Amino acid sequence: MNRSDRRVISREYFSDDRLAEHHFRSFNNFLMRGMQEVVDEKATIDTDIGDKEGQEPVYVELGDIRILTPRVREADGSEELLYPQEARLRNITYAAPVFMEMSIIRGGEEEPETVVDSTETKVGRMPIMVGSEKCNITGFNDQELIEIGEDPVDPGGYFIVNGSERVLMTSEDLAPNKILAEYDTKYGDEIQVAKTFSQRRGYRALVLCERNRSGLLEVSFPSVSGSVDFITLVRALGLESDEEIVHRVSDDPEIVKFMLENLEEADVQTQEEAIEKLGKRVASGQGKNYQLKRANYVIDRYLLPHLHEDGVEEEDVRINKAFYLCRMAEACFELALKRRESDDKDHYANKRLKVSGDLMKDLFRTALNKLARDVKYQLERANMRNRNLTVNTVVRSDVLTERLEHPIATGNWVGGRSGVSQLVDRTDYMGVLSHLRRLRSPLSRSQPHFEARDLHATQWGRICPSETPEGPNCGLVKNFAQAMELSQNIEDEQSLKRELASMGVEGIPGVNRTTPADD
Amino acid sequence: MSTTRHTCPECDSLVRKQNRESVCTQCGLIIAEDNLDRGPEWRSFDDDASDPKRTGAPLTPTRHDRGLSTRIGRSRSTSPRRRRRMARLRQQHRRSQTRTKRERNQRNAFIDIRQHISALSLPKVVHETACKLFRQAQNAELLQGRSIEGFTAACVYAACRMVSISRTKTEVVGHTKATDNEFDAAFKALNRELDIALGPPAPAEFIPRYASQLGLSAATESRAHEFAIDCRERGISNGKNPSGVAAACLYTAALELSDEITQKDAASVADVSPVTVRNTYSALQS
Repeated sequence: MNRSDRRVISREYFSDDRLAEHHFRSFNNFLMRGMQEVVDEKATIDTDIGDKEGQEPVYVELGDIRILTPRVREADGSEELLYPQEARLRNITYAAPVFMEMSIIRGGEEEPETVVDSTETKVGRMPIMVGSEKCNITGFNDQELIEIGEDPVDPGGYFIVNGSERVLMTSEDLAPNKILAEYDTKYGDEIQVAKTFSQRRGYRALVLCERNRSGLLEVSFPSVSGSVDFITLVRALGLESDEEIVHRVSDDPEIVKFMLENLEEADVQTQEEAIEKLGKRVASGQGKNYQLKRANYVIDRYLLPHLHEDGVEEEDVRINKAFYLCRMAEACFELALKRRESDDKDHYANKRLKVSGDLMKDLFRTALNKLARDVKYQLERANMRNRNLTVNTVVRSDVLTERLEHPIATGNWVGGRSGVSQLVDRTDYMGVLSHLRRLRSPLSRSQPHFEARDLHATQWGRICPSETPEGPNCGLVKNFAQAMELSQNIEDEQSLKRELASMGVEGIPGVNRTTPADD
Repeated sequence: MSTTRHTCPECDSLVRKQNRESVCTQCGLIIAEDNLDRGPEWRSFDDDASDPKRTGAPLTPTRHDRGLSTRIGRSRSTSPRRRRRMARLRQQHRRSQTRTKRERNQRNAFIDIRQHISALSLPKVVHETACKLFRQAQNAELLQGRSIEGFTAACVYAACRMVSISRTKTEVVGHTKATDNEFDAAFKALNRELDIALGPPAPAEFIPRYASQLGLSAATESRAHEFAIDCRERGISNGKNPSGVAAACLYTAALELSDEITQKDAASVADVSPVTVRNTYSALQS
């Protein structure tokens, strides 16, 4: 390619609408699908009404969510469209009203379920990214933009909260749902660990599988203090026979040898025994029935949550969890046998970027939970005082608004992260562009982390090799390369899986049933 | 300390406030000195994990304890046993916060008022005024035999009228758990006992809201305002429902500027019958 052609492409990459494109794509995605997904995850708000004798249970069903474009409600009660410049000048928030369909449903115990009240109600206001699909200035030409006081070359991609422009920092996290094998030291010995950050619907659980110094495999996951024997756990998940366990880990003779050592040490043989043993760990000192119940709950709730999927049976999920643990075990053994090197955490294949839409989704999820708790409380109180239950009188829209605006205004995000939103750097035009394309590593800047700060070969074409601050943040704060393309998660995993199945992939959960025994 | 003076006592020229001193711009006389430096604090907390906050939020009349509450926080790094203990403490603490039935009622009422305020999207002033009214009503023992729901609704309604951003009764009651009768009983008691001296709301207060609901132009809205003033001067609005008068003003203005609305539309946003609109309309025309 000759130089002038290259220049054309280069210029295209630096055109106005490309500069903050990752923000728009991510946020539009959140507006169009993400919000509804969060609502669908929640689906209902259950109440304690009906716990008492002779009372019918009441719950709220959440339906479709709808969002308008930003508007302002004046003190005199009138409502008008709001443009970004007005929001900046009047120190108000550039936010759009959000409506949700809600139905209060009573009954189900003795009487049939009846809808008490069903309306679409305003649940709050969502701050809107300037330039996104729901922004009032999208589709305006330069002249129209100038007329409403906007700068036609302003890239957008930020929010306006209480008049100040706030950009959400892209954060660079370790890829979830991936096995990372590495060395660790425990009591002075080197051990091998396989780690997975399992993530599903905002819940994140770290699962560790380590091979201790006597060669035994142990698994630790949230809600269980300490660790559980690998063999006990896979047996509890339904992978019972010695032969099957070994076969599922590896066919390599040396790994088989390691596995046999583990099996010799195993003190449970059947699934029932394994669940019993697990129950003693998670609820020691409790009654036996409770122990079993708790053990099953822990397995389904806290162990590798990312393997759960709608439309896949519990039994299949469990066996998949067992297979997954076997993969982790294999990674440990391979590392011990020097068949592979430890995974590189700084490799860009092991990184995922959280852009504004993902961050807003986290925020919206907790805000909706808070709203649900408030609705539950209001319903219970209205019921106790024998009032009619109506949607409009139990929804308090400032709950959601507050929960959405406050983190953007202060930068204190859910999950204890701070500095997520920053005041847009308006020192000059280049400052804005650079700020919108900046990304931050969650690692602490007060610790050395030399490897994390180093330029990694896989950053080629993705991250600018030279633009990073001097001082404590050096190498932790980075900037996108000019021609960086950010790929997005697929919309519908089911269709991807069906596609893969049609191409001949076998044993995909939810598409075709796994048949663990016959191979 | 005479910080309120605007001229210099020596030379009678302008006084300017600089950070903590009031200085004469002409002769440089320092008239007053404020010992508090109100400027920003030049300390950095960026690398410090400790919380730099030294005060809480200001007192607010919108909470039963005026915002001076103590809460027992949560921590992830406590043992399950300690966590259970803290949960029990939290429960006891919550129970001890409302000692009497009156305090509990006030707390619940304030939660309701907050809900009404957010449902009607009213500003903070109304919120505070409504809460103050409720407190007054409680101190005057007005609540005996009347419903709390009625009172919260009536307080919000009265507060709106006090700060001249009136809402109609139907609007307020529609967003609350109160019934019409409860509302009437409570509002009558408030009006009679608390001596809040509310005049009838001016029709002009309703105009911007109805105009935006009907999607009318700014020109129509300002013309309607003129009609509203005209109504008051000519005494047309005397004894009429102000909301209906506002609707009639808007309708008349819309006709004049050929914005298309019907009497029925105007009447429905104002929650009156088309006849009311028609009557005021013909009075305006004459």
